[in-house]
Amino acid sequence: MAPITGPSHLVNSLASPAHLETSASQLDGVPKDLEDSIRFETSRLLQATGILLRLPQEIIAQSIVVLSRFWSGADGMSLLECDAVDAAAAALYLTAKPSATPLSPRSLLTVLEYTSTVSPHYSQASTGASEPQWSLSEGSYETARDRLYATEAQLLRTLGFQTHVALPHALCINYLQTLQVFKAPSSDGSALAKRAIKLLNTALLSPQQLFLTHQPPALATAAIYLAVREEGVNLPDVEWWEVFDVDREELGFLVVALTSVEGFAEREREVWGDRKVPLTVGEVRAEIERRTMLEEGE
Amino acid sequence: MSSRWADSAEDAAEDARRKAEKEEKKRLKVEKLRKAEEEAERAAVAKEKEEQENAERPPKRRRLSGERASDTSDGAAAERPLLRFEAPVWQPCRSVERFDRLNHIEEGSYGYVSRAKEEATGEIVAIKKLKLDTARDAGFPVTALREIQCLTAAKHRHVVELREIVTGEGTARGDVYIVMEFLEHDLKTLQEDMAEPFLPSEVKTLMLQLGSAVEFLHDHWILHRDLKTSNILMNNRGEIKLADFGMARFCGDPPPQNLTQLVVTLWYRSPELLLGATTYDSSIDIWSLGCIFGELLTRTPLLQGKNEVDQLSKIFELCGIPTEETWPGFKRLPNARSLRLPSNQKGALGSVIRSKFPTLTNAGASLLDSLLSLDPSRRPSASEMLSHKYFKEDPRPKPTSVFPTFPSKAGQEKKRRHASPSAPVRGAAPGLGDIDYSSIFKGREEEEKGGGFQLKVA
Repeated sequence: MAPITGPSHLVNSLASPAHLETSASQLDGVPKDLEDSIRFETSRLLQATGILLRLPQEIIAQSIVVLSRFWSGADGMSLLECDAVDAAAAALYLTAKPSATPLSPRSLLTVLEYTSTVSPHYSQASTGASEPQWSLSEGSYETARDRLYATEAQLLRTLGFQTHVALPHALCINYLQTLQVFKAPSSDGSALAKRAIKLLNTALLSPQQLFLTHQPPALATAAIYLAVREEGVNLPDVEWWEVFDVDREELGFLVVALTSVEGFAEREREVWGDRKVPLTVGEVRAEIERRTMLEEGE
Repeated sequence: MSSRWADSAEDAAEDARRKAEKEEKKRLKVEKLRKAEEEAERAAVAKEKEEQENAERPPKRRRLSGERASDTSDGAAAERPLLRFEAPVWQPCRSVERFDRLNHIEEGSYGYVSRAKEEATGEIVAIKKLKLDTARDAGFPVTALREIQCLTAAKHRHVVELREIVTGEGTARGDVYIVMEFLEHDLKTLQEDMAEPFLPSEVKTLMLQLGSAVEFLHDHWILHRDLKTSNILMNNRGEIKLADFGMARFCGDPPPQNLTQLVVTLWYRSPELLLGATTYDSSIDIWSLGCIFGELLTRTPLLQGKNEVDQLSKIFELCGIPTEETWPGFKRLPNARSLRLPSNQKGALGSVIRSKFPTLTNAGASLLDSLLSLDPSRRPSASEMLSHKYFKEDPRPKPTSVFPTFPSKAGQEKKRRHASPSAPVRGAAPGLGDIDYSSIFKGREEEEKGGGFQLKVA
């Protein structure tokens, strides 16, 4: 078969300035920082759930991008209208559906029920260190399933069926091959590749919604740039990123954004501690109320 | 950097700029290549000199790095242009109320198709209302999802254009409609109403258009999996477009395991699918192309089996009985074990395509024969098909502009429904059971011999 000639596997739908300016949640009165926390936490929830469901990272990453599209812009969905957990379930279900690894609603909802109860301490859960038995009663499964189908339809309507997500991961390997890092005897190419892929997966969690603002080639290039610096590999002392159609300004922005995710995650952990990030409409309302009461107390 | 957020008004200027950028980039590339060559040459010369003289001049490495530094400073001054990627934006589905429904065209298992007019522009479109049943389909049907994904990825002259997805309003908000361009005919209905089959020159044009569409799909890793004449639409300008991607899916190389064998309408289904193969590739679409080719030549479907077993026997009658030489490994396919085939003796088990199409040229017959190879790996790819000599010999393909026009059924009248099997529904794939094919060639000897000569058309 011939190689792909069209740009569709390289190019994503990006957010317009209107999408980034505000969101339905902010218009409904959800503070920006709370929204960021919830979006970050839901992405982590998706990642953990996906790992437990043995899904390929490709599907998990795509579902995180689809979900972040769902929340974006005034036309998007508001955190006060749809439970974040339900939206996450619908995003993962929808992304897996036409793929080679479709999910049954039962396995998805059961695992999600488990992960949302262990939230935010996924790391113990995903390593399988603890093994709590979790099951969903038939009645709550049926209501959850109907909600899943309704949210899925809502998600499709809101995105205008734009569920296509091109990922930078494979492109990143391709670029590394172009740079011949796997051939050079002095550098450890596979360590470099692993580092770059890790950075790309981290980028999925960025509060700056990097996958909605930058195309896969730019993301792949920035991940390589940063990985090269972190691994101390020597690359040609020229502006090699221009070969991949990324200019210095865009590269610089992405590198800063990528490095800042760690700090953001640290801050989130400090702010929330052992408290659960609100993931349903009710919890979000309660959190907003708590904040206003605190403010009034001061 | 402003380009990404440019308004639609500036798009034309932007396009021009992008084009110029691209050309500039190409030019730079060529230049770079030339420079690299020069450099390599110089390096070779230097090396030779070094070896000859063994002198203590500075090593060539330093000279090279010096040169490269000067190169970059040159480039920076010239500002190297970079490729920018198109960035379509998503937006919520718009409402179906922007369209006036004109008339009903067709109802299938997937939904209802009607002709409609967009109120704002007056353009005529085809609207397909999807049949949704969340309980049956476990949410939004995966077939519709694949159809939308594949059509979005397949923008081609000869693939029907997906314009947008719209939804109902108010209480009907859950209804989903696919808006596509409207074409007057489909090849199946058209052929049934024609007094004569298409002329050879017309068949060539149709097959070329169809082949280019299939080539495009396969190049983009899409299998159509339901090619047939009723899924090929045609307008009054002789242009055809491929439609109905309800069975289509993305695939890879190597092809995914465990694909469903319940694809492709029976009459166009390839022998390996009938024999239960669960790993298959683009060659199943090529088989369907062969069936369509035969159908265009004669105006009647080539292989009209009543069921899976009958279909397979019709295929073997036309294409011959497979043997280990003509189709290595076919006996290992799931349904092949229960087959009892006539033992290979006295010849006469080969393909009879040549004698079935007496008016077809030799090149045409060889093309049809290769498209209908029993062994999937022997079928040509779509691009190989397009370069076949059949399309280069006389009569030449007829230009679409001088194609005859026909009254459109979809335009006004309700269509007659014709007896034709529809695409397989999801469910358990039926096995073939224990079948005896040993008698299907019984009458063949008398029938085939004739006068021992054959009319040849050059």
